[in-house]
Amino acid sequence: MKTKEMFRRGDASRSALGDRARSSPSPQPSPSGRGGNVRPPIADPARNASSQTALSFSLSPWGRAGVRGNGTWLLTTLGAFAVSLIGRTSLAAFVIAANLCIAADGPLPIIERFETFGAGDGIPADKVHVVFKTSQGVLWIGTWDGLCVRESNGKFRRFGPEHGLSHKMVTCIAEDKTTGDLWVGTMRGLNKMSGGRITKFLQTDSGLPNNVVYGVDVVDDTVWAATAAGTGAMNLKSGTWKMYDHNNSAMHEPWCYSIKGAKDVVYIGVWGSGILEHDPKTGSFKEYRDPDRDFHYDLVADDGPINDITSWVAWNDGILWQATYFGMSRYDGKSWKTWVQDKTPLPSNFTQFIWPVGNYAYIGHDQGASVTDGTNWVNYLIGTNGQGVVEIHRPSAPVEKRVTATSLANGFVLGIWADEREAWFATSKGLSRGVFSGTTRVANAAQGKVP
Amino acid sequence: MKKRHAIGVAAVLFMAGVTILFGKRWAGAHVQRWTGRQDLGGVTCTHCHLQSIERMTWAKARAKHHSPAGIVVSPDGSKLFIACDDANEVVEADVRSLKVTRKLPLPGAPFGITIDAAGARLFVTCRASDRVVTVSTREFQQIDAVHVGDAPVAIAHTQTPAGERLVVANSLSDNISVLECSPLREIARPQGGREPFAVATSADGAIAFVANRLSTSEDVLAMPVSEMTMIEPAHGKLLWRHTLESAHLSEGIATLPGSTWSLMPFVKVRNLVPITQVANGWVMSSGLAIADRDGVRAELPLDEANDFFADPSGIVVDAAQQRAYIASGGGDVVSVIDLARITNWLAHADEATRLGAIRDLSLSADYVLARIATGRNPRQLALSPDGKMLFVTERLDDAVLVVDTATLKPAGRIVLGDGGLDDPIRRGERVFTSAAYTFQRQFSCRSCHPDGHVDGLAYDFDGDGIGDNMLDNRTLQGLAGTAPFKWNGKNATLEIQCGVRFARVLMRTDPIPPRELKDLAAFIEAQPPPRWERKRDQALTPPQERGKDIFFATSRPDGTPVPRERRCQTCHRPPLFTNRLPSEIGTRGARDSTNYFDTPHLLGIAHTAPYLHDGRAKTLEELWTIYQTNDLHGVTSYMNKHQLNDLVEYLKTL
Repeated sequence: MKTKEMFRRGDASRSALGDRARSSPSPQPSPSGRGGNVRPPIADPARNASSQTALSFSLSPWGRAGVRGNGTWLLTTLGAFAVSLIGRTSLAAFVIAANLCIAADGPLPIIERFETFGAGDGIPADKVHVVFKTSQGVLWIGTWDGLCVRESNGKFRRFGPEHGLSHKMVTCIAEDKTTGDLWVGTMRGLNKMSGGRITKFLQTDSGLPNNVVYGVDVVDDTVWAATAAGTGAMNLKSGTWKMYDHNNSAMHEPWCYSIKGAKDVVYIGVWGSGILEHDPKTGSFKEYRDPDRDFHYDLVADDGPINDITSWVAWNDGILWQATYFGMSRYDGKSWKTWVQDKTPLPSNFTQFIWPVGNYAYIGHDQGASVTDGTNWVNYLIGTNGQGVVEIHRPSAPVEKRVTATSLANGFVLGIWADEREAWFATSKGLSRGVFSGTTRVANAAQGKVP
Repeated sequence: MKKRHAIGVAAVLFMAGVTILFGKRWAGAHVQRWTGRQDLGGVTCTHCHLQSIERMTWAKARAKHHSPAGIVVSPDGSKLFIACDDANEVVEADVRSLKVTRKLPLPGAPFGITIDAAGARLFVTCRASDRVVTVSTREFQQIDAVHVGDAPVAIAHTQTPAGERLVVANSLSDNISVLECSPLREIARPQGGREPFAVATSADGAIAFVANRLSTSEDVLAMPVSEMTMIEPAHGKLLWRHTLESAHLSEGIATLPGSTWSLMPFVKVRNLVPITQVANGWVMSSGLAIADRDGVRAELPLDEANDFFADPSGIVVDAAQQRAYIASGGGDVVSVIDLARITNWLAHADEATRLGAIRDLSLSADYVLARIATGRNPRQLALSPDGKMLFVTERLDDAVLVVDTATLKPAGRIVLGDGGLDDPIRRGERVFTSAAYTFQRQFSCRSCHPDGHVDGLAYDFDGDGIGDNMLDNRTLQGLAGTAPFKWNGKNATLEIQCGVRFARVLMRTDPIPPRELKDLAAFIEAQPPPRWERKRDQALTPPQERGKDIFFATSRPDGTPVPRERRCQTCHRPPLFTNRLPSEIGTRGARDSTNYFDTPHLLGIAHTAPYLHDGRAKTLEELWTIYQTNDLHGVTSYMNKHQLNDLVEYLKTL
């Protein structure tokens, strides 16, 4: 009953926001390609924002879980009042806005519903390995059967080997924000998509260490590729390659699963070798290894990387995140924090992707996805009947568990892209878009502040 | 006494005979020992020894000329500024008097030039020093400089919402530098096609169009494509990369104010047909590509049915008159194009007609208004702000021709130098760039060897007419001292290489006269490998040092000796990195008649892709990852990826 009620509220709120996207009534793909008829175009957050009424000025564009308490309620209410005056909205709008802002003080967004995309939307394969939105707002996905771009009509257009892609199985995507070029890793080579043309880099025709590219990132003038036989770095101005593996770096194994540029350094996630911090200027390497060196158990919590089997590494705003198949960890430059499923809200030790936004991060694992700032957690899981299950964990508070009508397309989440407006999830059975609560009803309900 | 003298003479002769006999035997054994071959004849010591870079023609000092490269007119139309790359000068000339008024020495081969809207600052690309320099037009002094990509050639100035911008085509590093102007600062360097060579910007500064001189192909038997790159000058983002099939040598580009068009002259090259088809006009023709942001709209011929205008280069557009002027560097003419007629034709042509028009050489009569004869090798054009005067660089006459656009007649000349007629190298360059020596003036030597280098294509020179026995086009840079020539090594001298047989097979006309042929050889031998002086003085990086060790290795890392005949340095013997002998490296193709191919020198090898005699290897890596056969091309099977990368890095330094 509660679920149905919330769902109805959600519908009403979508109508108020003018969001025409239709929520999927079922977490599983439907032959008709669920909701593909009226989905928003690529840069939909911006369009949505611009299409909203003055009401939206006082709305946080995303729902927030009020997990920090409501100390800022007065400020946000006054702010809403001021904005509503400037926006010349009605008093009713002000009241609504002020109420909505009550819940907009927490750090973590709450996903109100999921939209799912599959074959009916032009996605050529069930398995979506990676999702990436460029700085220009263009959404790309990498699938088991090609690279796809979401066009303005909401459909996905595919690029495969017949278009010059080195291999159909796309594993990772990064953007060179300076030039707008897209770098695409595949199971056979690295590709540069530039101005509509694809240039291939293979281990046989370039300095790429190995054709199996698991991770890619662009840092200043260098593109970095984490491959199955080391990490390669190509200077984009000179075309010169550098290569690092167990022969010439602190790597104990050559299997590099992830690469992420940070401030002045590059982090390499190595399967069996923890995390390597590399300073390209000095050429130095610094190891972050699991202190207890036990592959199956984290014997001492918070003592360092949780495990040496790094499946993904991410960095944002000075915070380093590590995903492993045995839990996950975070390093803020001073201390480590680790999470395992038995002792923390992390639903599964099998973590395989992390996408930080500000000081919190989305985690992709084999039970769904989670988002955490290290203290509070929101887990998006799939119930036994396919319904969405949202778990909200706050310190010193009982776990709030809710059931939603929509869920992730699949619980095996391989990739995530998110900002403070929306979240996209690449799963083993389609692509999902997490729509944040525009009216924060879910968050309010979570806090028990709305009747 | 006489008897003793005779005995002495006999002893000396005997000893000399013994020495010669054993010396010859030893030399023969020495050659066999190092090459592993017993069938080599006519090998001299100089094949592997006694060579020095300093003795090469291209390493010696030569006469410099005031060859005009880029030109630009001041916004008020009173001054013409000319970049003279060979003389290392920027020249200011008075348009009214047609006299040179000031000269600014500017080292680094100033090549491209542009001016800001106020006429206060010139921006000059220095091709040899990889810099862009700002010159104050009032003081005529350098006031700023910044490093960009390798070998910057063309430059355009534009005003964008984000501020003033310069867009620079870096020909050797295949990228484009986007600069802020005050002070000069590079904000982005997006990738271009192969050899970006010309830049134009839209009137609103929203788009910069870049023409790329060379083409690329996925496979030696695939159709080559060249690229027109479009970028956003404000931030340097790449917008579109449109392709032209079977096209290359795009050395000029212009935009048409008031429209979305960009106009790009190019050479339609059909390298996949047998070269014997020159007589049918099938191998090369000149064209004009019209493109907008959505791609190439039309490819129009600039030639006539029996008369060709080779090597189209610079282009300038007069929007008011709806005219385009296009220089033909090989034909010594400027073609005047009526854009209004082209617009009308495009309005009535369907897509197939528009893209297939390049094949109809009779079409040019509909829109070519005139052909203006010029001096030698017209390359770049500029138009006075009022459109009344057209300036044409006559590169090999050291002059700038001034044309009255009302009458389309010459109105005078700005003389920069004496033309260099006393210099055989300059005379040879005139032969090299002129299409007068080929059938119907279809092409020049330069059409396949821009700047004496490569066009990156392979051609079928076989007379069988089948067309699938390709031969990679080899660079002429650094060729001196590496005789014999051709991939089969059968031409002992450049005069033979470029002589009668070449005229019969390729040029399909009378051979180049002996005196001109000699000058041509002098010009070719004076072509240095790209950036050799800089490379010579540059210290090697650790990977390059390791690669050098691999190149000169006599044993594998495990101590196993590498046979002498399989060592890199045996065939690619320094300092020219060739022993000038044919080698078998396991690359014989299905239609090749021999296992042995001439050993090319490696100077500037990084810039001469593709590789091997038929151009089958797209990159240096592919030589050993894909086309290595039983360690015949050096012993490399032991190499890991680190070692291969190091070797390639070293080769790039040669």
